[in-house]
Amino acid sequence: MSATRPAATTTDPLSREPVVKVTSLTKRYGELVAVDDLTFSLEAGTVTGFLGPNGAGKTTTLRMLLGLAEPTGGEALVFGRRYHELDEPARRVGAVLESNDFDPGRSGGDHLRALALAAEIQQSRVDEVLELVELVASARRRVKTYSLGMRQRLGLAAALLGDPELLVLDEPANGLDPVGVHWLRNFLRSFAEGGRTVLVSSHLLAEVAQAVDQVMIIDRGRLVAAARLDELTGTGQTLEEVYLELTARRAS
Amino acid sequence: MKAALRAELFKQRSTRTVLGLFAAMVGLVLFVTLLHGLGLSAENFDGTAEQITAVFGWGEVLGALFAALLGAISMTGEIRHGTIRPTFLVNPHRRSVVAAKVWASMLIATGFGLVAGALAAGAGTATLRARGIDVRLDAGDYALLVIGGAAAAALWAAIGVGVGALVRNQVPALVGITVWLLFVENLLVGDIAGIDAVGRLLPAAAGRAISGQAPETLLAPAVALVLLILYAAAAAVAGSLAASRRDVA
Repeated sequence: MSATRPAATTTDPLSREPVVKVTSLTKRYGELVAVDDLTFSLEAGTVTGFLGPNGAGKTTTLRMLLGLAEPTGGEALVFGRRYHELDEPARRVGAVLESNDFDPGRSGGDHLRALALAAEIQQSRVDEVLELVELVASARRRVKTYSLGMRQRLGLAAALLGDPELLVLDEPANGLDPVGVHWLRNFLRSFAEGGRTVLVSSHLLAEVAQAVDQVMIIDRGRLVAAARLDELTGTGQTLEEVYLELTARRAS
Repeated sequence: MKAALRAELFKQRSTRTVLGLFAAMVGLVLFVTLLHGLGLSAENFDGTAEQITAVFGWGEVLGALFAALLGAISMTGEIRHGTIRPTFLVNPHRRSVVAAKVWASMLIATGFGLVAGALAAGAGTATLRARGIDVRLDAGDYALLVIGGAAAAALWAAIGVGVGALVRNQVPALVGITVWLLFVENLLVGDIAGIDAVGRLLPAAAGRAISGQAPETLLAPAVALVLLILYAAAAAVAGSLAASRRDVA
């Protein structure tokens, strides 16, 4: 990761090309600057927490990275390309942006099947990811009957359909109970252990601190810190203290 | 493109939306056909054109309406429920997604149009005969009603996808389509003097013309077919461009 601090030189030959490379990324909505000249990159095999207050620009950044929103300036590359230039994006990148992106009248299994058909992924893989997120028994029920935790897991299953190398999650811990959070943390760790990469945004610091190995903090669209978690908290401060200091707003 | 089409067809049959629309269409076609066939006085059924306008043409009108709603929902439903995000993540070539929605909706709408036309033909004929009224339609008229109605429905489904992609918000899109098809165009093509010449060039009038309705006012079926194809293509292209250029919230 290189941002406000230069990246540590890595010895891993596999991670020469950054998985994510964001350069001077900017998004304006009229007068409002949602993302302001953001630059960072992510190496393979890392779990990065993308932190910041609500409205800091986290979601907008992720949407630009995933080709859902067009940058006003700069660029966001995944595996060296813009998202829509990837040959089989579902096999490279999996993402969950909202916890409830489902048609309530469609079953969980059919939701996955529709995406699998579009991505030319076998039905057997649909069964695998259902197994992985422990939704096999509910796969034929319509999503309107699902609890929030089940919806979160179904979203994750959709992101995992293509067995991607990069996982992007926007606020995945929102509304999860302690068991769900624990499950998610373990999942993220095991996902990254195989050399794969996770970018997870959150404003819930406690949930994030235990799962990530580096953090980026943004505030009002600008990157205010980017470092390994142990570096950031090395001075004896907790992540929360560092975060509050960096994102403190001037009294108006 | 084949994968996108397969996915869209699967989406259409994995909820109850299409079935619900189909049932509503069938019910409405029967209701309107029987109501007009039984309720209007016999002098409304003098000639072929009168009989088609009063009773048989409703198959095409309602087939086109529900086809357009089906097409629009295939777009606005995804935006409303947020499934547009995973859809575009899996296939970031948004024009191919919109194109797949157009073809899938046209295919299903063809079925809608055939059923609506056949139902109106069957129920209308039975009703008039039961009243002892001579049915003035020949085999060619029936064929044009059903096949032309199916073509009109298919093309209106494409218009619906385009409108859905442009409007995005489900309720205004569906209300707009319904009001336009059932009300606005009737005013423009109807009794208001002197504007028939323009009114008959509008898309709902073209749909009615394809199925052989009001031949003295409207365009010839073949001309109307070409015109409606142009409308459908324009709507699909406009929707496709809008979907490709706008950010997804």
